[in-house]
Amino acid sequence: MKFSKRSAALVATGVAGALVLSACGGSDDGGGEDGSGGQSGRVVFGEATDFPENLFPNIAAGNAVSTANILNGILPGTFNALPDFSVEYNDNLLAEEPTLETEGGTQVNVYTIRDEAVWSDGTPITADDFEFTWRSSRSGDPAAGGCASVLSTTGYEQIESVEGSDDGKTVTVTYATPYADWQGLFSGDFGGGILPAHLMDDEDPVALCESLTAGWPISEGLPSDISGGPWQLLAENIDVGGQIVVLTPNPEWWGDGPNLEQLVIQNIGNDPTTAVQGIQSGELGVIYPQPQLDLVEQVQGLEPNVESEITFGLSFEHLDFNTQDPHLADINVRRAFAMALDREEIVEQTVGQFSSDAQVLQNRIYFNNQPQYEATAPDEYQTQNVEMARQLLEQSGYTAGPDGIYVHPERGPLNIQIDTTANNPLRQTTIEVMIPQLREAGINATYNANPDIFANVDKPTSLAAGGFQAALFAWVGSPLRAATQSIYSSPQGDNVQQNYSRQGTPEIDALFQQFVTEPDPEAQAELGNQIDALLWEQMATVPLYQKPTFIAYQSAIEGVEDNSTQAGPLWNSETWTLQ
Amino acid sequence: MFFFTIRRIIASVFVLLASSFLVFALCAASFDPLARYYTLQPRPPESFFANLREELGLDDNFFVRYWNWLTGALTGDFGETVNGTPVAEQLGSRLLVTGRMILLAMVIAIVLAIIVGVIGAVRQYKASDYVLTFLVYLLIALPTFWFAALLKEFVAGGVNDLFGEQILYTIGEETPGLALYADGWELWSDRLGHLVLPTVSLALLAFAAWSRFQRSAMLDVLGSDYMRLARAKGLTYRRTVVRHGLRNALIPLTTVVALYVGTLFGGAIITEQVFVWHGMGEYLIQNGIGNNDINVVLGWLLVSAVFVVLFNLVADILYAVLDPRIRLS
Repeated sequence: MKFSKRSAALVATGVAGALVLSACGGSDDGGGEDGSGGQSGRVVFGEATDFPENLFPNIAAGNAVSTANILNGILPGTFNALPDFSVEYNDNLLAEEPTLETEGGTQVNVYTIRDEAVWSDGTPITADDFEFTWRSSRSGDPAAGGCASVLSTTGYEQIESVEGSDDGKTVTVTYATPYADWQGLFSGDFGGGILPAHLMDDEDPVALCESLTAGWPISEGLPSDISGGPWQLLAENIDVGGQIVVLTPNPEWWGDGPNLEQLVIQNIGNDPTTAVQGIQSGELGVIYPQPQLDLVEQVQGLEPNVESEITFGLSFEHLDFNTQDPHLADINVRRAFAMALDREEIVEQTVGQFSSDAQVLQNRIYFNNQPQYEATAPDEYQTQNVEMARQLLEQSGYTAGPDGIYVHPERGPLNIQIDTTANNPLRQTTIEVMIPQLREAGINATYNANPDIFANVDKPTSLAAGGFQAALFAWVGSPLRAATQSIYSSPQGDNVQQNYSRQGTPEIDALFQQFVTEPDPEAQAELGNQIDALLWEQMATVPLYQKPTFIAYQSAIEGVEDNSTQAGPLWNSETWTLQ
Repeated sequence: MFFFTIRRIIASVFVLLASSFLVFALCAASFDPLARYYTLQPRPPESFFANLREELGLDDNFFVRYWNWLTGALTGDFGETVNGTPVAEQLGSRLLVTGRMILLAMVIAIVLAIIVGVIGAVRQYKASDYVLTFLVYLLIALPTFWFAALLKEFVAGGVNDLFGEQILYTIGEETPGLALYADGWELWSDRLGHLVLPTVSLALLAFAAWSRFQRSAMLDVLGSDYMRLARAKGLTYRRTVVRHGLRNALIPLTTVVALYVGTLFGGAIITEQVFVWHGMGEYLIQNGIGNNDINVVLGWLLVSAVFVVLFNLVADILYAVLDPRIRLS
């Protein structure tokens, strides 16, 4: 077969066009940098969450898991969240453990910064950076010199002053009122991190707010490629089109590591097959995907070349009752509902499939693997108790109908719809396991995928608007637990905060008041467990289980360990070595 | 031809206007870009929400919002994403990624479709026709995500095992960070190794359906009177088939290809996802719908619609080139 000249020309143009287009891909060929500190090797981390558009962690645009993973080895912080959920001071940055004093209703913390701690441009890390970090996050009100773009002012708003001494290497932080989660401030593992004042500060609060609002767009990178940690992100190492960032060792880093020459963070999307095939082919070194059953099995099949680990993280599934529903306003109905559930079986059928370590969560404030955890659930809730559930319903005037479902003379048949997020197989299975259990106790439960579940009050079926009966969803927390106050404190009028079950007692509110102002971790743990015991009495929410996290990595990479707190899988990446 | 083109362009402007309005209305009614902050622990202060609502213009009247978007779009400003990045900037780089992925694949698919279609028609009901038909139907029946996964698992795995080193890659456009320490042949062979599988995947699946169009068009033409006349006048078989037959039989394929390629610029969604190319399809699904981002969805719509219109126009013009009887004016 022969092409005419014209068609041959057409084809040729097409091929040439394709080649030209292919050619303009990729980033510039930067000169290869040799590791100066004896580093060698590179590891590719497959990031499953969205590629960040902005790297500034304190605004909405930078509030992403992928940003936190990148900044983890870049912005310094005072405390670290460890894999066992304990919280320890960062001895790379601080010369000694920060002190805590509470006298006369205030709180004073003193931090001593190591003399050798410097930013990557050589400027020492000092109290000025602490002061600036506080000042930029202390208020969301522009009239008070704050900035409305700031995502969280919690904690910082309670600080009265941040003062430096000893050439700025000693930092004294004074709180107007005590703040329990003080260890989470000035700390990247709990959101944020210490900011470089010398590059960001502006005396004019309006101008400062403008620059905070603009943040650090990914296409520009960090201001002056700054770093105060083991890794550095140079602007030329950001490939926005390819969604790849390459971290290189910070030449001014004073601590140990990093041992690798490059840590590559490549966005691979959330398709589990891609992650598995990527680690199988060796294109990816470490993956941290959302665990799915077949995915976990496939990865386990790749041993011994690939190692993997399941742990249980900071997100817990629970069932919320709307206490304004005619049935569920009755505490007996809520208690009966909770007793009818066989939570052991629910765990077994869901997260228990991933790991035999899965446990029923018997506490709302603390997680199973936290040192403070106590199983505060009273005996009658520890295991399924259908008999008692039926008795409670009958006490409240319910009678069993011909189909076995209880009916109330005024409230009608006991039909409860359980709302949850759409397209979430784990939650769907959870509810599907619950339905027959509830039926045994004469409760007719149904599953409803509600796309508006997390919408604002203007959507009538949202949690915020109260348009639900029962709802299954997760709270994502932190090892520091003061933020749970907004979930369990009594609603103030229309403002339910995050207390979607709309239930609370003055006693719980008062205890929470102490809980959030108790800076001593041990005393706080006692209060937390006390609060949870009271929450069981109200039975407005049933804790179910912690969600698993899953890490897999090439066995050639040494030192990888999952950290299911906000510190994330790269928490110790400066210690990784490649065999 | 000139007036025809102008008329078509004016008509498509109205289509674009109407569709952008419709999509804007649907997105405005269903998107809540603030939703992901309501359940943050601790919940951001009210001032944060008020500020974000104002910044994203969510407090404005629907028509005002649409007008603002439209006037911006007319001047080339597609607004910003909910995270403050200009949409136009992102669209540009996304379009290049998709373009790089599909162009070579489409050229291969067109050439293959023509060859296989013509062979099938010329040798109708011969063994080669049956074999090709079987293969083509097999490809048509394969879902994209599965075919791509098979390619990754067996072709990439097999080739790499065979050579004992990584030759074919399954993720992205190049080995991440390679450009930092390699150049020249190493970099280019790496990019080629990344391009092979998505290209094969897209090309084979697209060519399969097209070859059937080409075959039946060719069969129609082969049975027509002018072909017999051409033979009777003493032209060689090969010359009649190529000059008189193929040229006429290309017209139906032109339409199909133009429509397909036009829509493909909106993203080969599944292929992009499987091979992790951050192109237009991912942009719509993740950045647009996933992030409740109205400007992204609208920007995507406009750009991909322009490509559909453009390729339709190209198809119309190609008709005229292929068939001198068609006069567009």
